[in-house]
Amino acid sequence: MDRREFLKLCMTMAAGFTLFGCRSGGLTDKLSGPALKDFEDEVRRAMAQMKPGFRLVKVPMPGEMKFSPADRENRFGMAIDLDACDGCGKCILACNQENNVPLVSESLAKQGRFMHWIELRDGIPTMCFHCSDAPCEKVCPTGAANHTPDGLSAMMYKRCAGSRFCGANCSVQARKFNYEDARSLGHAKQFNPQVPLRDKGVMEKCSLCIQRLQNDRMNFKANAGLAGVVGAKSGPAGGTMGGTMVGKNSWRGKGLQTACAMACPKHAIIFGNWLDESSDLVKEAKVRNLYAPEGIAKLDPSVVYMRGRR
Amino acid sequence: MKYFWSGVIVLLFGFLLADFLLGEPRVATRAGMELGSAPLAKNSVVPLVAFVHSLHGDSIGLTCVNCHSGAKTEARAFMPTKADCMDCHRLPLTEKPGIEALDSAMKTAPEEPWVHKNVLPPHVVFHHGVHAAAGVDCYDCHTARPGVEQDVYGGESFRMQDCLDCHRGVNPQGKFKPAATYCGACHR
Repeated sequence: MDRREFLKLCMTMAAGFTLFGCRSGGLTDKLSGPALKDFEDEVRRAMAQMKPGFRLVKVPMPGEMKFSPADRENRFGMAIDLDACDGCGKCILACNQENNVPLVSESLAKQGRFMHWIELRDGIPTMCFHCSDAPCEKVCPTGAANHTPDGLSAMMYKRCAGSRFCGANCSVQARKFNYEDARSLGHAKQFNPQVPLRDKGVMEKCSLCIQRLQNDRMNFKANAGLAGVVGAKSGPAGGTMGGTMVGKNSWRGKGLQTACAMACPKHAIIFGNWLDESSDLVKEAKVRNLYAPEGIAKLDPSVVYMRGRR
Repeated sequence: MKYFWSGVIVLLFGFLLADFLLGEPRVATRAGMELGSAPLAKNSVVPLVAFVHSLHGDSIGLTCVNCHSGAKTEARAFMPTKADCMDCHRLPLTEKPGIEALDSAMKTAPEEPWVHKNVLPPHVVFHHGVHAAAGVDCYDCHTARPGVEQDVYGGESFRMQDCLDCHRGVNPQGKFKPAATYCGACHR
């Protein structure tokens, strides 16, 4: 190859790469995203980098929320049976798939900064405890972190400006920050079309599978709850802020389960309505000792641990 | 060999230019960006004969639910399939000369003539059935507005303010009582 051809080749390649770089979207946009195996591997890795646990203290059974807005009929939560849980980590993978939790880059993984909404701490599944007096919501400058009347500490991703104050004010580090744009890095996979993918610079955490609650509530109100809704229109103001009518026809979230509860082979995670006496959650929690991490025990958590019988 | 290098360069640039022009657009990454730039669904078909809602409405005793079967009970209202149209249109319905053009258009129409792309962003929840159960009529939200073609339904650009006005009970007609306004009711 003579000098002339060599220079031509160099020029062509330079121009080609420049043009390729200019096109909208990088190479990664074309990829179909990570495989399920990548998520399984990451869960295994997170479990290998186990974080220390919290000191657990006894708490009373969660009742009606003391803080506004509070629904008189529904307060959703979970109880995790530590006597049954063997720390297999299946809940983490189920949660990742249900909520489209993205993978993280190597540099973040090394620091243990996984996006997993559930993590094992000292072998105990730990997620957002949905405190009714949530410290994270108090410091949110945009109102992105707020409470639903039925006891969920909800996160409005599009409102989040990424100040990370909430994460700093959470003593159990339940909140995960999207340091990177998981979509363009090819780290995100939309397993569940019902849950939106989060953008870079947004805080996220366990939502208590809010999408399942919303879908079930709306389907109930559209069909079975028809009579209740129409009846309440003419009657006195029987509705709470949640729109749930107090009465026989009201929605209590019966039969609903979170993804982690469904995935648990030992049935150690029980999801339910704390204000529904007939729910499995209340029946089981009544005869058990309830615990919560010391840091949030006084904040009236909706998610508690169970250990030993009363 | 005279044109070899020019050929290589032209070919390379041709590929890259095609990729540059025809490659899939970059995904918008911030709130609401998806909406404006949403391309038409790939399998959507421009109908040969324009559909006119007013010809199918009260004049022949049809309501929205007859074709949009989910409008009163389901989350989505749904678009009718060709089979739904043919339930009525297999019979000669009028004497108008246009009916022949319609019949031939119906013959060649695909099984699902209308592909409706959901314009709601993925973080917004809307359930038609809940609103119907609460006594909201279809045309309380789906009405023609200034600048919108009279016959177009469902193509309106809804703003959260429209939802909130009604949910706060300040809708102009005073027709509905206040409903849930906490974020988690409609967003996820």
